[in-house]
Amino acid sequence: MQFIPVYLIFIPVITALFIYVFKNKHINYLALVAQLAMTILLIMYFTAYGDNPEATLFVFGDWDARVGISLYNDRLSISFMFLTIFTWWMVLIYTFNFRETDHNFLFFLMFLQGVFLGFLQSNDLFNLFVFLELTTIIVTILIAFKKTGDAYRAGIYYELINVSGVLFFLLGIIILYNSFGTINLLAIKAGLEGMEDLTALRMAYIFLMVGASVKAALFPLYTWLPKAHGVAQSGISALLSGLIVKGGLYLFIRINDMFSPANYSYSDFFFVVGGITAGIGVMFALSQKDIKQILAYHTVSQVGIMMMGLSSLPTNDLFYGGLYHVFNHALFKSLLFLGAGVIIKAYRSKKVADIRGVMRTMPVVSILMIVGMLSITGAPLFNGFISKTIIKYGIYDQEWKYWILFFVNIGTATSFIKMSQIFFGPRPMTIILKDAPQRLSMIIIAFSCVMLGTLYIPISSGYFGVDLSYITPFGLIPLYDYIATLTIGFCFYKLVIEKDVTMVRYIREFKVSFETANYLMIGYVVALVTYFIIL
Amino acid sequence: MTKHFIIIILLGVLLAVFTVAMQDIEVLYNTALKSYLIEGVIPRGFVETGSRNLVTAILLDYRLFDSLFEAGILLIAVSGIIWISKHDIEEKNAQFMYDKYKTPDLFVTFSRLVYPLMLTFGFYVIVNGHLSPGGGFQGGAIVASAILILYYIDHDKETNIGLIVTVEKFLYIAILLFASLSIFTRGTYFTNVFPPTASPDVQAIYLVILNIMIGFKVALGLWAIFTAFLKEGR
Repeated sequence: MQFIPVYLIFIPVITALFIYVFKNKHINYLALVAQLAMTILLIMYFTAYGDNPEATLFVFGDWDARVGISLYNDRLSISFMFLTIFTWWMVLIYTFNFRETDHNFLFFLMFLQGVFLGFLQSNDLFNLFVFLELTTIIVTILIAFKKTGDAYRAGIYYELINVSGVLFFLLGIIILYNSFGTINLLAIKAGLEGMEDLTALRMAYIFLMVGASVKAALFPLYTWLPKAHGVAQSGISALLSGLIVKGGLYLFIRINDMFSPANYSYSDFFFVVGGITAGIGVMFALSQKDIKQILAYHTVSQVGIMMMGLSSLPTNDLFYGGLYHVFNHALFKSLLFLGAGVIIKAYRSKKVADIRGVMRTMPVVSILMIVGMLSITGAPLFNGFISKTIIKYGIYDQEWKYWILFFVNIGTATSFIKMSQIFFGPRPMTIILKDAPQRLSMIIIAFSCVMLGTLYIPISSGYFGVDLSYITPFGLIPLYDYIATLTIGFCFYKLVIEKDVTMVRYIREFKVSFETANYLMIGYVVALVTYFIIL
Repeated sequence: MTKHFIIIILLGVLLAVFTVAMQDIEVLYNTALKSYLIEGVIPRGFVETGSRNLVTAILLDYRLFDSLFEAGILLIAVSGIIWISKHDIEEKNAQFMYDKYKTPDLFVTFSRLVYPLMLTFGFYVIVNGHLSPGGGFQGGAIVASAILILYYIDHDKETNIGLIVTVEKFLYIAILLFASLSIFTRGTYFTNVFPPTASPDVQAIYLVILNIMIGFKVALGLWAIFTAFLKEGR
C-alpha cells in the first residue's frame, strides 16, 4: 500500500520500454492494461491515504528525509494525479486507432506519464528539477514528432526557452541547498520557520518562480506556447494544453506552500501578471485565423485567469476558484483540441475561413465542440461557469480586478463566436472518416464537463472541503449575465474583428523573435527582483 | 541599439542585486540547520553505504531514485535523436563518414595505441567508482569515447544501431529491477541490497554491479547517439 506511488511512476515507464523493445502490435495493448492497473492503484491509494497526508511521506531507502528522496501526497497532488491518468486515458483512446503500429509515439507518451506522475508526487527540489528536464525533453520530441520544418523549429524553440527557465530553477535550488543543507520541501518549510528575512532567500524564491513561470507560460514568457501547441498533433496539443502547462502552476502552488512561513506578499504581483497574461492571450487569439492557434492563445489567456485565482492565499475561496479552473480548463481545452483535430483531418485545412458546414458533415463532433465552447465561455450549467463565478465573487470588492476579468470574458466570447462560423454553411464535399475511439474519448470528456458543471457542490465539499453552495447556475441572473456577454461579444465581432481592421492585422503579424523572448525573460526576472527585493 | 542599452541596464541591476544578496550566504552557510550533515551524513556515509567515495554513496544509494531518471534522460535523448534523425534505424551503418585518405596516418596509428588504454581506463573508472572519483556515468562516457576512436581505426566498421538501442533498453529495465531488489532484503525500494550493518566489502558488491550496469548503459547510449550523428553527417 505504501509503495503505490512508486508503482504509479514505474508502471508506465516499464510499459513504455517494453513497447519500444518489442515493436509488436499486440504488445501495444499493454498500454491500456497498464492504464487500467494505474487507475485501480490510484483509487486504492486515495481511499487508504486520502485523509491523512502525513502518512504518505515515503523516503526511498528509509534514510533520513533530509538526505534521501521522499514522495509526499496531499489531496492536491492526488487530484492532479487523477487528472493526469484521466487525460492520458483520453489521449490514448483518441490516438489508438492510427497509433496502433507506432511504437515510438506510444513509448514517449507512456514514459511522459510516468515522469509527470513522479513530478506531481516529488517532495524534493532536485528531483523536481530532474523531472522538469525529462518532461521538457520528451515534450520537445513529441512536438517535433511530425518531422516537418515548423515542428522542428517549434520544438527547438520550446526546448531552449524552457531549459533556460529551468536553469534559473536550478540556481534557486543551489542557493537553498547552501542555506539549509537539504532540498526536501517539507524540511525547508520547517527551516524557514523563524528564519530572519534575508535577501538571499528572496533571491532563491525569485529564481524558483522564474522556472515555474516559464513552465506555466505567464505573460512575457508565454511565447513558446502558441508555437508548440499549434504545431503538434491534436492529441499531443490536448495533452500539452490540458495538463503539461498546469505543471508550472502546480510548481507555483508547491513553491508558495514551501515559502509560506516567510510570508512574502506575492498576491498582487502575480494577480497583475495573470491579468496581463489573460488580456494578451485573448488579444492575440482574436486576431488569429488558424483554429489551433486560436485555441493555443486561449490556453495562454485561461492560464492567466487561473493565475488570477491561484495568486491569492490558499485560505481564500479565490484560490479554489483558480484551482477549480485548472481542472475545468484541462477538460474543455482538451475536448476542443481533440475536436479540432477531427475537423482539421476531415477538411485538410486549419483556417477558420476554409471550414464550413461542420454541423451537417459531423453532427456529433459539432455538438461536442459546442459543449466545449459553452464551457470555455462560462455558460451556466457547464464547468467553466463555476470556476469563473468563484473568481468573480472573490474579486468583487476590487473594481479594477473585476474589469480585467470582464474584458477577458468578452474577448473569449467574441473569439468563440468567430470560431462557431465553422458549424454553419452548406455541406461540402469531404470524406469523413468514422473513427469510433476518437468520438468515444470526446464524449467522455464532454460528459465530465457537464458533470463538473452541475455536481460541483458535492464534489468540492467532499474533496477539498470548500462550500460552493452560494453559486447557483439555475437563476436568471447568471443567464442574463451570459447572454449580455455574448451580445457584447457579437457586436464586437461584427464591428471590429470581421472587418479585419488594421490593428487586428498588425497584431496577427506581430511575431516575437527568440532574441526578444530572451530579453523578455531577463526583464521578467528584473521585474520580480524589483517587486520582491528593491521595493 | 536601444534594445542593447536596455538589456545592459537590466543585467546590471540583476548583477548588483545578486551580489548584494549573496552577502547573506555567509550568514546562512553556518546555520545550525546543517549540523546534521556535518555530524551525521559525512562521517557515517562510508559505514552506511560501503562507498569510500561519497559522491557514489549519494548517486547509488541515498539518491538512487534521481540517478535512475538521470540515466532515463540519456535513454530518452537516444531514442529522440534516433527518431529525429531521418534515417531508418534498421538500416546498417555502412561506412565511416571520413574518407580513408583524409584521416592522417599518424592519427590512425596513435589511435591504435590509445584505444586499448582508453578502454581499460574506462573500465577502471567504472569498477572503482565506489573507491575513487568516477563511477558508471563517467566511466561509461570514457568507454564511449574509446569506441568513437575505433571508428577512426576501422573505416569499414558496421554498427547496427537497432541492436544497440534494444540492448540499452533491456539494460535500463535490468537496472530498475536490480535497484529494486532491496524490497526483498530491506523492505524498501532503491537502496543497497545488503543491510547497513553488513561489512563495507559486502556492500561494495552491489555498488560495483550497479556501476557496471550503468556504465554499460551510458556507453551504449552515447555510442548510439554518435552513430546516429555519423549517419546524419554523411
